[in-house]
Amino acid sequence: MLEKLVEIGKKYADEVEIYQVNNFSSGVSFENGVLKDIETSIQSGISLRIIKDGKLGFSYTKNLLDPEGFVKNAIDSLKGDIKIEFSFPIGKELKTLNTYDLEIENLTNTKMVEEGQRISDILSQATNTQVNVGLVKSVSEIRIINSNGVDYSTKNSFYMCYAAAMYPGSYSSITRVVADKKFKEFSKEDFDYIIFLYNSSRKEVKPKSGKMKVMFLPNTMYVLIWRLVYGTNGKNVYEKTTPLIDKIGSQIFDPAISIYNDPFDDTIPGSRAFDDEGVESKILPIVENGVLKNFYYDLYYGSKMGVGSTGNGYKVSDWGGEIIRVRPTPSLEHLHMKPGDKDFYEMIKSMDKGIIVAQALGAHSGNIPNGDFSIGLSPGLYVENGEILGHVKDAMVAGNIYEVMRNVLSLENKTYMANMGVFPSAIFEDVSVAIRE
Amino acid sequence: MFDVLRGIISKVPADYVDIRYEKMSETKIVLNNREIFQLGTNTGDGFVVRVLKNGGFSSIAFTKVEDVEKAIKICLENAELISKNSKKKVKLAEVEVIKDTFIPSLREDPRKVSIDEKLELLMHYNEIPLKFENITTNMQYTEVIREKYFVSSEGTEIREDLITTGIRGMIISRDGSLVQNVRVGIGGSDGFYRLRNREEEFEKNTKIVLDLLKAEPVKGGVYNVILNPDMTGVFTHEAFGHFSEADLIEDNLSMREKMKIGAKLGSDILTIIDDPTIPNQLGFYKYDDEGVRARRTYLLKDGVLSGRLHSRRTAAEFGEPITGHCVAEDYRYAPIVRMGNIFIEPKDKSFEELLDLLGDGLYILDAKGGQTSGENFTFGAQYAFEVKNGKIVKMLRDINISGNLYKTLMDIVAIGRDFELSEVGGCGKGQLNIRSCHGGPHILVKNVVIGGVK
Repeated sequence: MLEKLVEIGKKYADEVEIYQVNNFSSGVSFENGVLKDIETSIQSGISLRIIKDGKLGFSYTKNLLDPEGFVKNAIDSLKGDIKIEFSFPIGKELKTLNTYDLEIENLTNTKMVEEGQRISDILSQATNTQVNVGLVKSVSEIRIINSNGVDYSTKNSFYMCYAAAMYPGSYSSITRVVADKKFKEFSKEDFDYIIFLYNSSRKEVKPKSGKMKVMFLPNTMYVLIWRLVYGTNGKNVYEKTTPLIDKIGSQIFDPAISIYNDPFDDTIPGSRAFDDEGVESKILPIVENGVLKNFYYDLYYGSKMGVGSTGNGYKVSDWGGEIIRVRPTPSLEHLHMKPGDKDFYEMIKSMDKGIIVAQALGAHSGNIPNGDFSIGLSPGLYVENGEILGHVKDAMVAGNIYEVMRNVLSLENKTYMANMGVFPSAIFEDVSVAIRE
Repeated sequence: MFDVLRGIISKVPADYVDIRYEKMSETKIVLNNREIFQLGTNTGDGFVVRVLKNGGFSSIAFTKVEDVEKAIKICLENAELISKNSKKKVKLAEVEVIKDTFIPSLREDPRKVSIDEKLELLMHYNEIPLKFENITTNMQYTEVIREKYFVSSEGTEIREDLITTGIRGMIISRDGSLVQNVRVGIGGSDGFYRLRNREEEFEKNTKIVLDLLKAEPVKGGVYNVILNPDMTGVFTHEAFGHFSEADLIEDNLSMREKMKIGAKLGSDILTIIDDPTIPNQLGFYKYDDEGVRARRTYLLKDGVLSGRLHSRRTAAEFGEPITGHCVAEDYRYAPIVRMGNIFIEPKDKSFEELLDLLGDGLYILDAKGGQTSGENFTFGAQYAFEVKNGKIVKMLRDINISGNLYKTLMDIVAIGRDFELSEVGGCGKGQLNIRSCHGGPHILVKNVVIGGVK
């Protein structure tokens, strides 16, 4: 079917590329210990890119009812006069990755309901507060085929479970996420983490505003990473909207910080041997010992900058938009921060005075290009002399990542899969905290 | 189409079943500076089925019509699994059976404007900021045409079309390593005419982003503030609106307790309404995605909680009137409870009176993304002015506000007499609602936490 589409496309264009995705996902949610929803989704779709006379055409469809019309739609879009300076990649032998665990097929909704109930029961008993739990499994298949000999497929299995102990009167919570290629039990360590952080911060406290130590957890690290991901995006380098232009080789962060993109780590879900435009993946250091190493590119921006793709062309869409509807853009889909040498609980003990950012609000607002952040705490946990004294609600933590991340006190010795990547917890010195008295 | 859908659900052994088929055509033109990045019109489609069986309510979304039997089988299994494992039995509130086709009347149908003309208009506006050397832009034209067919086992059959057009973008200025940006957006749900003759909007925002390069960062702390109508709208949406969405508090007992009808949550002068039925605004619709007619709903009347936004499920659960606020982003999703068009009702103060009442504080303008955790909320602003003795003194940047639902509404001490609704939307409650509309007058709020590095 797709081969035929390439043939049709070749009648009109110099080069043709087809991206097909099929996805099955099933999600179970518990609110306050009660099974609330089970939702299933079976989606598929196809995007088409063509190159003709150095210009790029694009179209997409959900149901391939009219292949000729679908190709014609891409031809029509050529009048947008989108000039490009690249060819679709040539097919080659790629690394074999273990992206799919057959066990996912045995994971029934009934099993997820049982696990959700188990987690809800244990946590509500231990914390005596409202507990919400969500579990999801999905299987996605991607195939990319182009007229230059690429025909790559990948099938990925994914399981994710989160549990949240919620502070009364709000959706503020202590949350833990586990993710794997197959079902993975919520472990004693996961329970202990939520129970310790929630129970020790039960009381609301109102410390004074000022500069203090601030700890970001793996699940709030994205607040900082978001700015770095913007700053190193090849699109923003090309458009000169990043403060990091001319900073390759410069010390931008504390020497303790190393951040790299590793698409090959197939111990975690989502590993990829090729990106969404059929370019071979590679390991890309972004920051090494605090020094800026690389920007990341897709074919389009990589060719504009004359450096080529770094294998980071992905179809991504903010806020859950449908990926077949967008062209690939530079994206770091496999980000890791190198762990440090400190035990998580020892790190808390080492804080004389500070805030743990347990959940952040408003990470998407503020001046992201400039590296600024200003987030609400939802909540923050207040620490004095190594003890968590309680939680703080009406407060904001603000700074600029190019200043805050120069001042690392410690990094956790373990990493966790979280929003935007795999991160340890980290403590930064002298960060501004504003608290409503 | 109704025949096909009726055929599909007629075989389903359940207490209630509905199906929505939707065809969505999207025209998109993306400009990065002067380069065209994307241009074209494409169509996607799909089905969503919901089943209620023995008190278990479940949904499935699928793309291909040949998957229909498999999908319905899974959906029934899931409904039965919920029924077996949940102590709570879902009921759906009674609603009238409706048979209707509603195609909105437009002032200038965007489908009749050629893509060349759309591109030309976008490029024309894009040139306004690009006249300046230290400015870059990302601008896009989007036109989303949804053709929705809804059929339920109760006999409701509705076709409604939703047509949304907009031009939105980001203008970025740079001075050395300092980068500033503002968002700009125009558009609506009632035709292409809204996009014409709007140079002023782009000129205004170009000036702001250049001025921001010279503006001082705000000092973090607690301030009394005036919010302009766009900020008022986002404030109403984030600080209060989400928690009048019944599905968010349905199973959160402590919030449900605090959000009881009759609770005094705001100052005496504060009235908040959600009304999707007001014509010609971004959030307009006639029926929601459960086939329920939308209704004007008073959420807060003189500071007292007087209603909330419902799906059929939550209306039955709360024993409150249905409002028609259960809406889906597109064919990939089952509907959830959403705001349609939320605003603060205007009162008596002129802007000058508000400035006098403020004395010292901040005048904060144009929202830039927000988020809520129920009790607490945070959102950004494009810029602000320092106000001293009721006089606007100087521009400030890096404005981010945080507050508390149960306290802040009490701190609204004066309300202006002007009124404005937003032209572009984007509420991301799991699904993106591009027609999320909000607004109100200028308002004066006491004791607002502003984050700041200084």
